[in-house]
Amino acid sequence: MSLAVRLEGLSVRYGAAPVLERTDLELPAGSFTALLGPSGCGKSTVLGAVAGFVPPATGRVTAGSRPVHGPGPDRGVVFQHYALFPWRTARGNVEFALKRLGLPRAERRRRALEALAEVGLADGTDKYPAQLSGGMQQRVALARALAAEPEVLLMDEPFGALDALTRTRMQRLLRELWERRGTTVLFVTHDIDEALALAQRVVVLGGTPGRVLADHTVPDGPPDPDLRSLIARHLGSE
Amino acid sequence: MHATPSPPGRALGRLGPALGRLGPALAAAAAVLALWYLLARSGVVAPALLPTPAETLAALVDGARSGTLTADLGASLARAGQGFALGALIGSALGFATGYLPKLSAAVTPVVSFLRPIPAIALVPLATAWFGIGETAKRLLIAYAVLLAVWLYVHDGVSRVPVSHLRAARTLGAPVHRRFVEVLLPAAAPAVLAALRYGASVALLALVAAELGGADSGLAYRLQVDGQFLRVDRMFAGLLVLGSLGVVVDLVLAAIGRRFAHWSTS
Repeated sequence: MSLAVRLEGLSVRYGAAPVLERTDLELPAGSFTALLGPSGCGKSTVLGAVAGFVPPATGRVTAGSRPVHGPGPDRGVVFQHYALFPWRTARGNVEFALKRLGLPRAERRRRALEALAEVGLADGTDKYPAQLSGGMQQRVALARALAAEPEVLLMDEPFGALDALTRTRMQRLLRELWERRGTTVLFVTHDIDEALALAQRVVVLGGTPGRVLADHTVPDGPPDPDLRSLIARHLGSE
Repeated sequence: MHATPSPPGRALGRLGPALGRLGPALAAAAAVLALWYLLARSGVVAPALLPTPAETLAALVDGARSGTLTADLGASLARAGQGFALGALIGSALGFATGYLPKLSAAVTPVVSFLRPIPAIALVPLATAWFGIGETAKRLLIAYAVLLAVWLYVHDGVSRVPVSHLRAARTLGAPVHRRFVEVLLPAAAPAVLAALRYGASVALLALVAAELGGADSGLAYRLQVDGQFLRVDRMFAGLLVLGSLGVVVDLVLAAIGRRFAHWSTS
């Protein structure tokens, strides 16, 4: 299950300061898009607007046929700092997401363990977030977001705090999960290589207030050095 | 000889770490006791003004046997307990409301900042004028002091709950009652428990102020009576009970805190 996301003439202001100016963007259902840009270019604002955290000043956001008026379980979010509930175990965090579905307790438990196994966390399901490494915590956050069965998955620099090796592993895991589920993914990052490794399409955001500078399709197959340097030039033109 | 250590040896082995933690505190207590004893016996202070530890203990036992001390303790505990319960309940509710709703907080903050610096003891005459010298005045005074303290701490804790936790709950489809019970409440639990510990110490302060302002029973009332008769041994015994009460209440609340907010490092 997946939904298309559409931004139409979206402007966002924080107080009087415009952070995003008249932006149009369409994410087809089931697509994987990376939103790339330097910090402060409004890329997290775009994600926040799709999630429903940030109200538009002008324009609108739609998910499927419905306009976005606030957060909802059709749009799952994986936060930069995981936002796991520290008073719940890994399994408890995933069960929180499953409660919405009104399942009996035993079924909820079974599905939570299944979701954790799917992200490679079969052990340590009864540990608290503080007892898990950053990579493990992000696996739990991913399992929790997916357990609510969202049709759009929004990820805000989710692997930014991880070491290089863990990061590569998490990228591979995410790509596999996406290929299996076909959820629409919007992935915010400031890392060109991460964007190219993961996404079908890279949208470069920049300027103050932020706007779309470039929009590239990433071909399948081995990394394309020409595309990389082209995107690097768009980023560098800032 | 057996290779395994004898049971008493094992018991001592377990006792070791506990003694290690308590060691400094026990040493300090022993030092204070020794200093007190020497000061009382040396004649530097007139014996009528400073009882020895033994005399204080005797007064304590005497008070417990005659029932005065236990009756006073009961009266004080009832006042402090009821006042604390009322104040903590309302203070927590207000703390959640203002901590979660910034607009409400902006409206009431000036009022609270005006009321907060007024010590409870300054309100004793007013409370007496309004409610007489009965139990109502004392309980309300304690409740008021606890309310302000608990409100402030709970407000602070609730307003510090990470916005990402509440956002995550919304994106996971949790309706408002689940967000309150399953996110806001546990996230604020460590702050609430800290607020209750602070509130309990405030309740004891307000209790003493209320009883000194006019009472016919209670630990602080007894201190006043004993003072009029210069019974320093009984006054020391009363202070000892008052101090111990504070320590015990704090230890109990701290233990509850570890049980309910085990995931918190603070």
